[in-house]
Amino acid sequence: MSEDQAEKSKPKEPTEMFREMRDAYIDSVAKAMVDVVNTEGYAEATGAMLNNSLAITAPFREAMEKSMQQVLQQLSLPSRQDIVALSERFTNQEMRLDDIDAKLERIEKQTHAALPPAATAAPAKPESPKAKPEMQAPANLPTTRRRTAAVKQAPPRRRAAKKGTRK
Amino acid sequence: MAKAPVLTDQFALLDERLRTINKLMMAKAPIAQTPKELVWTLNKAKLYRYFPVVPAEKRHSVPLLLVFALMNRPYILDLRPGHSFVEFMISRGYDVYLLDWGAPGPEDRHLKFDDYALDYMPRAIRKLKAVSGCKEFSMLGWCIGAILTTIYAAMRPDDGLRNLLLLTAPLDFSNKKELTFARWTDEKHFDVEKVLAAFGNMPGEMIDYGAKSLKPVENYVSNYLKLWDNLDNVRIVESWHAMNTWVTDNIPIAGGAFRQLIVDLYRNDRLMKGELTIRGERVDLSRLRANLLTVIAEGDHITPPCQSEAIVSKVGSSDKELFRVPGGHIGIMAGSGAHKLTWPHIDTWLGGRSE
Repeated sequence: MSEDQAEKSKPKEPTEMFREMRDAYIDSVAKAMVDVVNTEGYAEATGAMLNNSLAITAPFREAMEKSMQQVLQQLSLPSRQDIVALSERFTNQEMRLDDIDAKLERIEKQTHAALPPAATAAPAKPESPKAKPEMQAPANLPTTRRRTAAVKQAPPRRRAAKKGTRK
Repeated sequence: MAKAPVLTDQFALLDERLRTINKLMMAKAPIAQTPKELVWTLNKAKLYRYFPVVPAEKRHSVPLLLVFALMNRPYILDLRPGHSFVEFMISRGYDVYLLDWGAPGPEDRHLKFDDYALDYMPRAIRKLKAVSGCKEFSMLGWCIGAILTTIYAAMRPDDGLRNLLLLTAPLDFSNKKELTFARWTDEKHFDVEKVLAAFGNMPGEMIDYGAKSLKPVENYVSNYLKLWDNLDNVRIVESWHAMNTWVTDNIPIAGGAFRQLIVDLYRNDRLMKGELTIRGERVDLSRLRANLLTVIAEGDHITPPCQSEAIVSKVGSSDKELFRVPGGHIGIMAGSGAHKLTWPHIDTWLGGRSE
């Protein structure tokens, strides 16, 4: 007798039998439920439930929004609508910045390509012992951020110079 | 002599199992662990580049952009080490990028397919080209991501898209009998304007409820029974935990895009009829000329196969293939058999077209 046959002829444990019965029952219920959710009646019932819940909650939601807006106005605080409007403007600005960034990158590339090789090559030695290496931001940052990072690293020469002239 | 099991031991065991299940349902599994860098952002959208593991000279020259659906997190493509499509593709020498749409806020309630396909995608692709230094690219769209990639590919045929892969793409809405979602969202029962007036965006929880209700017993009962029966099997528990983390991490769909999905697609099938207009321009599928691979899940109850078949005859591509895989909507890419069937086929198809 093969191992498989021996396995089959073994009496099943009660828990195993219970599990098989359970799975068979669940399978049949699952199939029936798939048919139920596919009916027009189910679509109608869930639609009605959703519509009713929206209709019931709508006046409360509106009242809440109105009173909240009044409170915020009294406190001179921005409302949700104000912040939403501001966020929309931010996205528009971000999009424009992204386009400017891409254009700058293209110009940078074109300028670099137009320059003679000697002009683009880095000098072998710094001209004076005081000369500092060029500020560089981490390469993994997007170009805009690299520029911002480089600006942040740069010493505040201009501001110092301006202050000097004022004096 | 062995002691007979005491009733209190059984209770202790039951208590321990319940605690484990509770922990698995409450805690998030470590997911999306393949190293990547952020290369571009716009509003909530982010473009990531995965660090290549294959030397540059052995890599495919055409980069691959992954675009997932709007209503779930894209880390299903990089679920966990050893079970990650992204990890598989970078190990096969692809330069992989992922476009993550992020979660829309109230300020994004007006975002439409128009904005995603013509504002976000072209800019992300421009950045991809700048970072990779490549003029051509491949794109993989999954579920609603496939709708967006199809619209983009048809409207920007000269942008350098060489290969387009569509996974379980809901594009054809003509067979209403097969589409449970179409029945539920019919204008007789579902008032899309009322829902959007109340919430702004379509809440993730409602989308999740809808998706799970297609197979209620499997999703609300069998799923947990499977875990209960296999609590001692570390492999199954880890896989369940990662999948549950993803399934429960829902995000809303921007109101404008949801309205288009229901009105233009589910109710009126405008894309296939050639009547869908994006920013006033008709989406003409015959303008889509990229090499096309459409992957269909034979057991898909969310996007039945009939929704993804017709695209092959509508596009203008000369190189097109329809690939059927046994499995469900998510299972074909994230299931245990994905690395034996779906992923190798995608690699073989794309590899030959990425040099």
